[in-house]
Amino acid sequence: MTAAFDAARAGGVVDTAVGMPKSREEMYEFYGFIRKQTRDTASREGEGGLEFPAGYMFKDVPKWEAGELDDPVAFLVAELDRHGITQAIVSVEDEAGQRAVREHPDRFFASIGIDPNDGMDAVRKIARYAKEWDLKAVGAFPAGLYPQVALNDKKFFPIYAKCIEVDVTFASTVGIPGPRIPFAPQHVEMLDEICWFFPELRFVTRHGCEPWTALAVKLMLKWPNLYYSTTAFAPKHYPKDIVNYANTRGADKVMFSGYFPAGLTYDRQFAELPEVAFRDNVWPKFLRENAQRAFKLPSA
Amino acid sequence: MGMPSDVGIIDLMIGFPVADRRHHYDFLRSQLHDKESLEDFEFPVQYMFKDVPKVEEKSDPVAYLLELMDRYNIEKGMVGASEVGDAGYRAMKDHPDRFFGSFQVDPNAGMDGVRDLVRAYEEVGIKAATAFPAGLNPQVAINDKRFYPLYAKCVELDIPICVCAGVPGPRVPMAPQRVELIDEVCWYFPELKFVTRHGCEPWADLAVKLMLKWPNLYYSTSAFAPKHYPKDIVNYANTRGADKIMYAGYFPMGLSLERIFTDMPAVPFRDHVWPKFLRENAVRVFKLDE
Repeated sequence: MTAAFDAARAGGVVDTAVGMPKSREEMYEFYGFIRKQTRDTASREGEGGLEFPAGYMFKDVPKWEAGELDDPVAFLVAELDRHGITQAIVSVEDEAGQRAVREHPDRFFASIGIDPNDGMDAVRKIARYAKEWDLKAVGAFPAGLYPQVALNDKKFFPIYAKCIEVDVTFASTVGIPGPRIPFAPQHVEMLDEICWFFPELRFVTRHGCEPWTALAVKLMLKWPNLYYSTTAFAPKHYPKDIVNYANTRGADKVMFSGYFPAGLTYDRQFAELPEVAFRDNVWPKFLRENAQRAFKLPSA
Repeated sequence: MGMPSDVGIIDLMIGFPVADRRHHYDFLRSQLHDKESLEDFEFPVQYMFKDVPKVEEKSDPVAYLLELMDRYNIEKGMVGASEVGDAGYRAMKDHPDRFFGSFQVDPNAGMDGVRDLVRAYEEVGIKAATAFPAGLNPQVAINDKRFYPLYAKCVELDIPICVCAGVPGPRVPMAPQRVELIDEVCWYFPELKFVTRHGCEPWADLAVKLMLKWPNLYYSTSAFAPKHYPKDIVNYANTRGADKIMYAGYFPMGLSLERIFTDMPAVPFRDHVWPKFLRENAVRVFKLDE
């Protein structure tokens, strides 16, 4: 099993959602958008490991103090090199992400986040970035929006339409969110309506679809345009339904994604990955090929 | 002074005479349940209209319509146009100073519907979208998510959308056309120019309240003989809504131009409202001077 994993990894690995390393202070500030709609004291005040709002679930979250990161792009490149990650999708909404894509166009690919609460400005944002960048992904966190917006809410429909027009993949967190906010906007069953109404939309789920992984599998079987990525899950916690599906009819549907630096180190990911019970033929698809197809990344 | 005779009127709903209209309303049949609509009516709302225009087959329907328009001082009419080469398209190309086009959208068609609208704008040259929410199969409410990509596209193209609002004449459910649904659309799409069609009855007072609230909401009088224009609407046009209310007829679908313009002078619009109502509001909202 390790041999098949090693061989697949040697051909390259794609991580479809990588963040730029930031200091603890910056991350705390970044998570303000989540804290403002939490109600429990620990989440609100960032106590008890909740300076990261989903911190109660994660051990050993990567952290850097201010001043430790003089060049986050160089740091990230070294980290990706060390683990054999050949392609990574990053946000181009900040200077570091833009520099990463400009300086390493074969390594980094552009994505943006979207908030349908912005109405037509959100639609225009997609068009604007797609014009300026070779945009590969539009990402959303429905439960984290303020106010929350359900995946099948009408406010998302012009966003989906624009993704189709500019031929960019849509990726969203689906399933119970880690932060202590309501889960309703991310229920897996809403994917059914979206995939029906927008058969041309490439939709990639993030953050696990738990606990409705059986439904996620059923829907992936039904809808050719629906994919699953393993963001935010350590390999030892990959849902059994998903691993089984990847080993049977879903070999082309399930793809690796990390959670660096938000919650998981690559050391942990790559220590656990070889233990995942994928069949030999699944590994190259899981580590690389499915992501390249779903996000239209170059495949060498 | 009253209704002026020197204003080139814009008619926001007019069509070419067709002698045999029996199949024109086939799209509604699958949703009609009552026997009268299915078996007796040639026009699904004929219970409301006296003297639906009976038109004989014309060798040149465009010339015939132009002659009628001249008689009633209608300078320009908005006609349906879907594709290059159809009757609306040819009329627009032959008489660009007399006709401009609108495209009827279908939210049930998803992205194909969005692309059809873009194509009509780019290739046919239409200046507005139109929609008939209660007449769609299945029906699609004004605030339904399926309309949202189309509203977004209208904003991108900077064209108004004219939507039937209020209880529909044909005997199909009214729910998709409740006037209250417009509130949410105008809120979410402040750049969308939303023009109601077919009266907004019986919620004309709500329509006025919403027009006062939303700068991007307008009203057109399609399918109403002037003697039946709702009082709320006439009062609003005479007070704060002079820039919001626009003339639209209903020929040849249900009203003759003779009927419309026989009734018209009796509408108690104030002097300064008339030119806005008959022409200027439409020129501004539909960008007819560009």
